[in-house]
Amino acid sequence: MTIPSSGTSLASPFTTELLRRSWLSEKSFEIELSRPATFQFRPGQRIRLLHRGLERDYSLLSRPDSPRLGLCVRHVPAGPVSSLLAAADIGTPITFTGPYGYFIFQRSPRPPVLVATGTGIAPFLSMTRSGVAGFTMLHGVRTTEELYYRSDFGAAASLYVPCLSHPLPGSALPPGAYRGWVTGYLREHLPPGAYDFYLCGRREMIRDCTLLVDERFSDSLVYAEIFY
Amino acid sequence: MKTYVGSGDRGRTSLLSGERVEKSHGRVEAVGDVDELNSHLGALIAALPEKQGKLREELQGIQADLFHVGAWLATSPGSPSLEMLQEIGPGHTKALEAAIDRIEAALPPLRSFILPGGHPTAAWAHIARAVCRRAERQVLRLTAGEPAGRLGSVIAYLNRLSDYLFVLARFCNTLHGVTDKVWQK
Repeated sequence: MTIPSSGTSLASPFTTELLRRSWLSEKSFEIELSRPATFQFRPGQRIRLLHRGLERDYSLLSRPDSPRLGLCVRHVPAGPVSSLLAAADIGTPITFTGPYGYFIFQRSPRPPVLVATGTGIAPFLSMTRSGVAGFTMLHGVRTTEELYYRSDFGAAASLYVPCLSHPLPGSALPPGAYRGWVTGYLREHLPPGAYDFYLCGRREMIRDCTLLVDERFSDSLVYAEIFY
Repeated sequence: MKTYVGSGDRGRTSLLSGERVEKSHGRVEAVGDVDELNSHLGALIAALPEKQGKLREELQGIQADLFHVGAWLATSPGSPSLEMLQEIGPGHTKALEAAIDRIEAALPPLRSFILPGGHPTAAWAHIARAVCRRAERQVLRLTAGEPAGRLGSVIAYLNRLSDYLFVLARFCNTLHGVTDKVWQK
């Protein structure tokens, strides 16, 4: 079902500037933007960067009271917006609208299970930095190198499971890691029951996890944020 | 960018409040009716004369409201997700009433039933009105036997919107020099 985004498409843009960029892995980096004084958001929401007629949505990493807005970006060499962000000088003006989205953590009697692939970890970082704790966290990546922000979840997560789909041959898996897709872990290790699933990442993961919930955890709730 | 996900291929979908439900669920039906209404408004807007910029803006504002209506309909009562939604309240309904009064002031009095139709823009408005009524009935079914709660404002909004679309249909005919055809018994 098509769900509208919160906020409106007619929202006035904010102008900000690039303050910092740091590479997290070969393909992903974090940037920080100055925060416009009137901009408010909730953990889990995203903003829409505007560049030469293009729009790209990125989830915020930051706490809502942070003076800077953090974004986690996967560099797509053919992608004009991520390439701009990867190479732009510090101080470059950046325009965005938002916040958007309903991907907000809800208090509930059901145990929360947070599932991210790649840079889909971003909204969960904002939630954790804002005090959300006591969840199971699955982070699906190809290799250990892409497990950025792992230490941020150490204290907040009841269980943090790196799920490595393509670990480098001969490399040791980190403690508690699962070799395979996040769906494999859910199928093999998550006990039957009712959960609140929070899914953020590529549409294939969202699809596979949601169908798995229908099959095995049918009394659960599913909140999803799709990275296209 | 690919628009499909595929998590609904087996006939289920997710509500905004997180529940997985059949696509024949009443809430999904209601959201679908509002989506259909919104699409008819889009067709009407596309057919409006270029110089009707203010009317176009008014209708696009209603389209934006209908997205929020859809969000309310896709959220179960008691869900914490309700806190995130933008209110569709008495102010929205009052704005429609003001628009109805403004449009009606420019129309001849109506003393008979009229046939839906006339100029294509009027025909679109009548179709939108009928779909709006269906959406309203579907929302009423959702609240049958229970207090309407915060959906009460949505019901009032849809009720007034169908009235707005009726006078708008007459206005579209007037705008194009088409006389409404009176029902001959």
